[in-house]
Amino acid sequence: MKRLTTIVAAAAMALSLSACQRPDQVAPDVLSAKPAVELRAMQTRAYDTTDRNKTLRAIVATLQDMGYTLDKVEPLAGTVSATKLSTLRLTATVYPRGTSQMTVRANAMVKIEARNTQVDDPQFYQKLFFEPLSKAMFLQALQVEDSGGGQSVAPNKAVSGSIPASEPVSKPTPAQGN
Amino acid sequence: MVKGRIVAATLAVAICLTACQTPNDIAMRIGVAPEGAVKLRALETRRYDTTDQTAILSAATQTLQDLGFTLTESSSEVGVLVASKQRDAEEAGEVAGQVALTIAMALLGSYHNPDWAKDQTIVVTLVTTPIANSKQVDVRVSFDRIIQTKNGLSRAELIQDPEIYREFFTKLSGGVFLEGHEI
Repeated sequence: MKRLTTIVAAAAMALSLSACQRPDQVAPDVLSAKPAVELRAMQTRAYDTTDRNKTLRAIVATLQDMGYTLDKVEPLAGTVSATKLSTLRLTATVYPRGTSQMTVRANAMVKIEARNTQVDDPQFYQKLFFEPLSKAMFLQALQVEDSGGGQSVAPNKAVSGSIPASEPVSKPTPAQGN
Repeated sequence: MVKGRIVAATLAVAICLTACQTPNDIAMRIGVAPEGAVKLRALETRRYDTTDQTAILSAATQTLQDLGFTLTESSSEVGVLVASKQRDAEEAGEVAGQVALTIAMALLGSYHNPDWAKDQTIVVTLVTTPIANSKQVDVRVSFDRIIQTKNGLSRAELIQDPEIYREFFTKLSGGVFLEGHEI
């Protein structure tokens, strides 16, 4: 009996320790505390293309593939906003970088109980946005040779090889700001 | 007794691990591609023998309107259409179950706030993509639904019922006088 009590007490303690602290009122968006340079580096990639429309289409295709619902697409401004499962909101912006590249910047927010928090995990942007986007860009380049090929097979093959034109912009210059 | 303790310990650890996720953890969990992404893509995509994207988009608009959707976003330059509609999501079985549970809990001296799905918003995202070096266009459509419960909670899910997609493409094909090929 005593042992049982101990187990119950331990379980209760574990429960209380793991409970989340709830915000008691609607708070403003929580932005990342990481330095702006670091944030910009994880959110930005450059692609070797001058075709803004193609880049936008690749972003749209990638987001749809990842299960997002598009909220707003503005080709003239080069922005795409999408939401996944009402919780994860991502905005991507395309703008030219120099004369031969397009820059893509993504920003994601997570909505928990009416409070938006900025995502600042480099892994999220790399693995769950830029990697699939690079595959989509690569796939479209591939279609010049392979017009009738299966869409679902080609991108998987592409992963092992080097993904072209997805060099992270490690040292952004002030000129390429928003 | 030892077994019981192991079970309790495992449970405690499992609870600790699942609770208190940071926003980054949530983003990493929600952001992953849906399960069976390749199969889903095949379900959601049809290829049409036309170069006229505008015709496809306007036929799709008509089809969506026939189905009772309201357009919320359209951007023909990149071939995007987004539409939504609201529907009642109440099911007699679920309501009865919740009421029964509330009564059972009350008999046991506890309070259970009954809750069930009340409304649902169905969101459809349609994207047309021209195929390079060919006279074809891919149309990909995805249906999502956001379910609001009586108590104001909401949950969202991707609709993966093949019948819904098949029905949509049949209607769209009728609208463009073309047959959509599965890819």
